[in-house]
Amino acid sequence: MVDFEDYLKMATDLASNGGASYAEARFQEDTFESNLLKNGVPEVTSFDTKRGISIRVIVDGALGFGATNRMNKKDVRDLVTKVVSFAKEASRMRRSKIQFKEATVGKEKFEIKPRIKFESVSTESRIELLKEADTAAIEAARQVGVALQGRYISLDTAITRKVIMTSDGADIRSYIPRVSIDSILTAFDPQKGYAQRTISLGESSGWEAVERWNLPVRLKDESINLGQILVDAESFESGRYDVVLGPEVVGIVSHESAGHPAEADRILGREAAQAGETYLNKESVGIKIGSEVVTVVDDPTIPHSFGYYLYDDEGVKARRRYLIRNGKINEFLHNRETAYEFGTTSNASSRSVSYDREPIVRMANTFVEPGDYSFKELIEEITNGIYVKNFMEWNIDDRRYNQKYVGLEAYKIENGRMTKRIRNPVIEITTPGLWSAVDAVGKDLEFSAATCGKGDPMQGVPVWTGGPHIRLRGICVGGSA
Amino acid sequence: LKDEDICQFVLDLCRNEGATDAVVMVMKNEEKMIRFSNNQITVVKNLDETSASIFVQIKEKKVGINVYDLSKTKLKAAVKKAVATAARSQPSDVYAPLPKGPFKYDDRLMKQAGISLDMDILVGNVKEAIDAALKEGGNRIAGSLVGRNAHVTIMTSGDVFARANKSTLELSVRAFANEHASGHSLSIAAKPEDFNPESAGAEAGSLAKLSMNPIQGNPGEFTAILGPLVFADLASQVGRFASAFYVDAGISFLGDKIGDTVASEIVSISDDPSVAGTYGAFPFDAEGMPTRRTPIIEKGVLRNYLHNSTTAKKFNTESTANAGLIVPRPFNLIVEQGNSNIEKMISSIDTGLYLTNDWYLRYQNYKTGDFSTIPRDAMFLIRKGEIDKAVRELRISDNILRILKNVRELSRERKWVKWWEVDIPTLTPAALVESVRFTKSTD
Repeated sequence: MVDFEDYLKMATDLASNGGASYAEARFQEDTFESNLLKNGVPEVTSFDTKRGISIRVIVDGALGFGATNRMNKKDVRDLVTKVVSFAKEASRMRRSKIQFKEATVGKEKFEIKPRIKFESVSTESRIELLKEADTAAIEAARQVGVALQGRYISLDTAITRKVIMTSDGADIRSYIPRVSIDSILTAFDPQKGYAQRTISLGESSGWEAVERWNLPVRLKDESINLGQILVDAESFESGRYDVVLGPEVVGIVSHESAGHPAEADRILGREAAQAGETYLNKESVGIKIGSEVVTVVDDPTIPHSFGYYLYDDEGVKARRRYLIRNGKINEFLHNRETAYEFGTTSNASSRSVSYDREPIVRMANTFVEPGDYSFKELIEEITNGIYVKNFMEWNIDDRRYNQKYVGLEAYKIENGRMTKRIRNPVIEITTPGLWSAVDAVGKDLEFSAATCGKGDPMQGVPVWTGGPHIRLRGICVGGSA
Repeated sequence: LKDEDICQFVLDLCRNEGATDAVVMVMKNEEKMIRFSNNQITVVKNLDETSASIFVQIKEKKVGINVYDLSKTKLKAAVKKAVATAARSQPSDVYAPLPKGPFKYDDRLMKQAGISLDMDILVGNVKEAIDAALKEGGNRIAGSLVGRNAHVTIMTSGDVFARANKSTLELSVRAFANEHASGHSLSIAAKPEDFNPESAGAEAGSLAKLSMNPIQGNPGEFTAILGPLVFADLASQVGRFASAFYVDAGISFLGDKIGDTVASEIVSISDDPSVAGTYGAFPFDAEGMPTRRTPIIEKGVLRNYLHNSTTAKKFNTESTANAGLIVPRPFNLIVEQGNSNIEKMISSIDTGLYLTNDWYLRYQNYKTGDFSTIPRDAMFLIRKGEIDKAVRELRISDNILRILKNVRELSRERKWVKWWEVDIPTLTPAALVESVRFTKSTD
């Protein structure tokens, strides 16, 4: 298959000759198949092959980006000329000059080889799998006495191919297959009303991931649980409790209140009018934000993770980033632009979701590093507590300081034992309040798939969020009706 | 190939391969974006894109395919794949043939003039916004400006053939007076003469200045004025979840409520892409049907869901010309005005809050409408009919339907809203709402 390498080389040369101090050209092709089942009925199968070329340049200290899917030399050449010219125009409104930090860029190829290729799995068998899972979910809900009134299940496979070349010598080629399943289940009981569960599974992998997930069993278990939550969960007294958070909750907490605040472009105000800023500033490295047992990392290099890559979209080699280490802010997420501003080096956080989107600072797989407690040990020392296994509602302010998580599957812990189910516990807490309350970290580790939104235009990138169970001492938990 | 030739070529192929229904849409998009922060341009972006969207049905079996390589070979391969996949697919529960044209479209919507995407003019617009925000009290200004000229050609097996332009300008600007004092404003338009970067910048700067030295807010139930950006977020939730698709999927708080009172009697929300010259105006939907006004909530009563042909058949009604081929959607939401204004609203409140913006709206339960969202930018405490102090760090934790039912007044003045948080263009007044539930962090 042609990768339009000649066009990429031509584009960077043309930009450099036109006065660009940095030029980066990317070919990206994303091939999707989506299958959607709504209430047991196949709605539609969709195919999409999105592909094109982008060019990014620095000219006279201003940054320009452009993209086209008109893949002929003339259109690519015209695009480069336009982007260089627009960047020159923009430089009129730059007091400071944008520069990219020098980096050891790669000339590498990385790929995930699927054991079972997506193209070997027919649309019919994909739909059949969703229907089997749907039937299992309905039956399971019925067994616990509730009706599963709404079932929305989507299955998406995607293959992303990228070729990236920069004027300073990067040449990165990658091939990543990704698969994900998203579901919203709505359970109904005439006396109790409605309860909902959102499920997201995702990996950078071939179809073997779907086989491992065993969707019918997964949705069956989720439905039983959802039904029991609806029927059995009881209201409880608001108050101060010791709380154990499950990996799904720890994942969203890590992503929202450790990952996003550490994005260096937010610290510089680049996202101020959209995704917002952060409570951290350039001088925050070393400040204490949590207890000593808290270490939060972001790592793109985990094999088969949803946010997997080995080189970022600026050609820099990826590594594990320690955002919070032993309770202290340790490092930020950088691309080459922010690295220059901070006087540091890029840690390969530059990602773009498609050919027509600018690479910006992103997370990949963000999680709390495991400690050494078993789940039993975490709860056995709790006299009066709450276990929040997963969640529905969440949000956080645009400085990433005040956040809210509403538990879905949750239990009282009494004298070291999990007892009754409780309904919708609400944790509304500041970032240092949350991380400082952690006194023990489990030795397990689980991930959830998510799509992280940022940028303008919006870019939803695949990420994992995760962690072990963690224990927080004496935080306020809001009760519910 | 010209766009209409591509459409005809693909449509003929679909028929020959055995599709009972087909829609072909070719979209050309030219877009320029300027992002700015810290009072200077962060990046300029240019997008030139042409793509085709092909949708085929073999009775109840449906397949969609988007193509970015419009060579005849690729188009042919795409059609073959689409039809063959449809043939092998399991049927959906409803077959609704595509609407039968040809249709007469509104000339005013068909002949929208393009806008200049001259970078010099766009940079000038950004400078106007930043300068105005600085002048009114902002210190640090950020935002984005997008200019877009799109051209859409549609052809369907229902004898629809239409071409239309869509041109828009969109500015979002946020001004910071200091770390905890900011204001946000917008200007969106379909015509340069309706686009006002300077007034948007000035409003953002002014709100930033007014919101300096905020105190911590207290949780509780308060009468609240929800400014147009906030009320647009709620109205756009109504628009989104009025889609019959979400109702059918069991994930809409409007489900099973047609004919019910779901809002205060002064609340009327419609979708109307037929208002020429507005941001979301467009002559036809994705099935080629002429767009029209559809009341969603009229005087507090839920009147209609938004339909395409398929959902309409399933719900035993007519399409509202809101296709989305799978998911019907609103295009251009309009909330009816009231007869108040923000000053009057403030003076009528003994103790309350005035919110100018919000973001990050998430549901605890889509079916019930339990949700929370976070006030952002300037927020004020009202005491004894006057703005007392700026406040910060509160959250609305409430229910959408409860809020809609508690709307007591709407302003006469309305604002078009579309930005990062509100992705459906929405014309809305400010709203005075009783007993809004506010919460805050406890540790």
